[in-house]
Amino acid sequence: MNKLDVVVIDYGIGNLLSVQRGLEYCGADVTVTDDKDIIMNATRVVLPGVGAFSDGMKGLNKTGLNHVVCDYAASGKPLLGICLGMQMLLNESEEFGFNQGLGLIPGKVTAIPSLNIENKNHKIPHIGWNSLKLPEGREQWDGTLLNNVIPGESVYFVHSFMAEVSSSEHQIANCLYGGIKISAVIGSGNIIGCQFHPEKSGDVGLKILKHFINL
Amino acid sequence: MRNIRLIARLDIKGPNLIKGIHLEGLRIIGSPNEHALRYYNEGIDEIIYMDSVASLYGRNSLDDIVKSAAKDIFVPMTVGGGIRSLDDVSNTLRCGADKVAVNSEAVKNPELIRDIATRFGSQCMVLSVEAKNISPDHWEVYIDNGRERTHLDVIEWVQRAEDLGAGEILLTSIDQEGTRRGFDIPLVEAVTKIVSVPVIASGGMGSSSDLAKVVIEGKADAVAMADILHYERETVNNLRKYALSEGIEVRDI
Amino acid sequence: MTSKKAFFGLPSEVLYCKKCVISNQRPSSTVEFSHKKNEKKLTINFQSDGVCDACNYHETKEKEINWSQREEQLLEVLNKYRRNDGGYDVIVPGSGGKDSAYTSHVLKYKYGMNPLTVTWAPHKYTNIGWQNFESWLHKGGLDNILFTPNGLLHRYLTKQAFVNLLHPFQPFIVGQRIIGPMMAAKFGVKLVMYGENQAEYGNNPKENFKPTMDTKFFSVSDPKDMIIGGRSVGGIIEEGNFNLNDFTPYIPPTVDFLEDKGVEVHYLGFYHKWDPQECYYYASEHTGFKANTERTEGTYSKYSSIDDCIDMFHYYTTLIKFGIGRATYDAAQEIRNGKITREEGVLLVSKFDQEFPNKYFKEFLEYVSLSESEFHETIDKFRSPHLWTKVNGEWKLRNLVSNN
Repeated sequence: MNKLDVVVIDYGIGNLLSVQRGLEYCGADVTVTDDKDIIMNATRVVLPGVGAFSDGMKGLNKTGLNHVVCDYAASGKPLLGICLGMQMLLNESEEFGFNQGLGLIPGKVTAIPSLNIENKNHKIPHIGWNSLKLPEGREQWDGTLLNNVIPGESVYFVHSFMAEVSSSEHQIANCLYGGIKISAVIGSGNIIGCQFHPEKSGDVGLKILKHFINL
Repeated sequence: MRNIRLIARLDIKGPNLIKGIHLEGLRIIGSPNEHALRYYNEGIDEIIYMDSVASLYGRNSLDDIVKSAAKDIFVPMTVGGGIRSLDDVSNTLRCGADKVAVNSEAVKNPELIRDIATRFGSQCMVLSVEAKNISPDHWEVYIDNGRERTHLDVIEWVQRAEDLGAGEILLTSIDQEGTRRGFDIPLVEAVTKIVSVPVIASGGMGSSSDLAKVVIEGKADAVAMADILHYERETVNNLRKYALSEGIEVRDI
Repeated sequence: MTSKKAFFGLPSEVLYCKKCVISNQRPSSTVEFSHKKNEKKLTINFQSDGVCDACNYHETKEKEINWSQREEQLLEVLNKYRRNDGGYDVIVPGSGGKDSAYTSHVLKYKYGMNPLTVTWAPHKYTNIGWQNFESWLHKGGLDNILFTPNGLLHRYLTKQAFVNLLHPFQPFIVGQRIIGPMMAAKFGVKLVMYGENQAEYGNNPKENFKPTMDTKFFSVSDPKDMIIGGRSVGGIIEEGNFNLNDFTPYIPPTVDFLEDKGVEVHYLGFYHKWDPQECYYYASEHTGFKANTERTEGTYSKYSSIDDCIDMFHYYTTLIKFGIGRATYDAAQEIRNGKITREEGVLLVSKFDQEFPNKYFKEFLEYVSLSESEFHETIDKFRSPHLWTKVNGEWKLRNLVSNN
């Protein structure tokens, strides 16, 4: 098996080509698939996703991939959820009603508040570049997905819902939108999630992906 | 409190990057992806590709261009022109686009906005609006690349579209487009005041000071630039530096 | 298959150019003073490879003509006539559309000439047309004389031209051609400069290689023998509503008179590689020219020929008589100039060519004093059987460019 291989899960939703291209650009050998065996045997897996939580979970559930992802996660090998992929790692989401997630990282998905820190309306979705910040209690990103990232470097977000982890030790990076803290990177052991799109974040994103494929 | 985005807008016809005045008289500028790549390397925040003959051919023909761009360009790409159905959206996203911009078909069938937002998420659904000033504080929606009138009021239309789930508005002034005489500030202001989704101002950028005006006065969340970049009258770097010097929050590279 | 009768001596087989979308039915420019009702029309020539003369001329334009040499020739002509004593030295006929805006502005600001622009008034200015006219002079910075012919006669002649020739624009074309040289003679100016030469679009290609207008357009011995609107001037006078004096604007100067005054009529299109779209850009930037806010009926374009309400009916009648409408003309030109592909041209023609010009229909009927049914009766008379057939009570063109 190629040392730099990555499997990207295809469950019918998501901008697969961009993720694939981004990983390939960084030197990875990418397989995009919904095949259970290939996923289980992968060295590292990416769960992408764009769109509504309920549709994402439906896509996983109806193909049985929800179980596959959980089984794979249990193996201890690296799993990276991107954007919706990250949100689905949590227990549940309140988007379009109550929806159950994969439950791999304790927490829930809630709507980004429509009022900013000054109690004024700000634009939802949160769309655009935003800088990554160390959360309280964390001094640096060594050993995490953001190993090579300098605090303050910007990445690209586009979402209306945000992840709230139950345990602060799972909070790896935040960003500020309208003064409000939003989860940017979360992680529990081998299971990592980034709310932003590393494959859409220029050089900073690419170096994050590069680090991931070397895990 | 949030970063303003600097976006390159590429109008495409067939294999060519083109530019017009008032969406008319389309001059061939060159290779779309050569230009896109240059802007990416210079630090552009996003790229918009608009197929300007899609309504004539009845389809969006940017698949190849987008697929090719996706190999080397790693910032968000929005693709518009001739997006008519959920299949079109799905196909476009699978080629590497992150968002789709819809105009003509959304006007003819507004429920499409809801369908796209539900299936793919609001953040993926950009409403493209071509606005023509018809009297003070009133603008009319045009479709088919500025060729056909609809008698729809822009302000009413954007509100309706937001309710249906549009996640962003790409607002193009037909009057200012290609003239280099600045954005239609009253238009941008009227729309940003009324919607709570991000608004991308497009059409009329002549110089960097227009950028400041449309953000500070018009309250635009993002600025789409075409002529000024395609004709190399300014670089992305200079524009970013200028924005910062004016106190406008933009991504700091 | 029986071949259908072709009116006006048009080629009985309809062919479309392999490169652009024009058909072999496209008429060449006519000597309008003798334009009679049943005369055989000269049409654009196709070579044996199926390519039309206009496309071939375009190749020549691109590859063979030495444009810097032509520029030198232009400078020679301009240097000969340029005045620095405050007198006008060139007459530029036009309406303030993109072509005359380009021509007049370039002559004044690039070449230092002192142009007087002259306009033979459109039948009825559109709002955008008038706006562009004013902008031309106020923003472009040019002097202008607007000549409006006696409306009673002009409308009468237009109606006659419509009914007899299905060519409502004919009297206008007559006037427009005269006004340049006429004003030149009156102001003691020797040089008249038009924009593009219609030869580019398919007249006799030999005409492309001369910078000047053929004097045959001006030779008329006795004004009463002139034919306008398919009627002889003498015949109209006999009816008793008009006399010879009313016809003053339509009586061309004689060739001798022009020669005596030393008037020369040139085309800037001979000296500059003509590209209508580039004229649009130039006019936009220098004279505040604005494209129309809506698409012109019968075509996709918004910047070409937008100043006259009656204009659409000129093109609509070419659709009836020759099977090709405005979109065809616009697309053919843009294909040759590399703005659009033939494939796109065909789609545009299919979509827009046969659109009925509703917007100013009432204005037109009023202008020519006809009822709607009289209008339709008239146009139906000119539908050549080799072009048109009735299907389920509706007129259809037998041979569309999209079928070729």
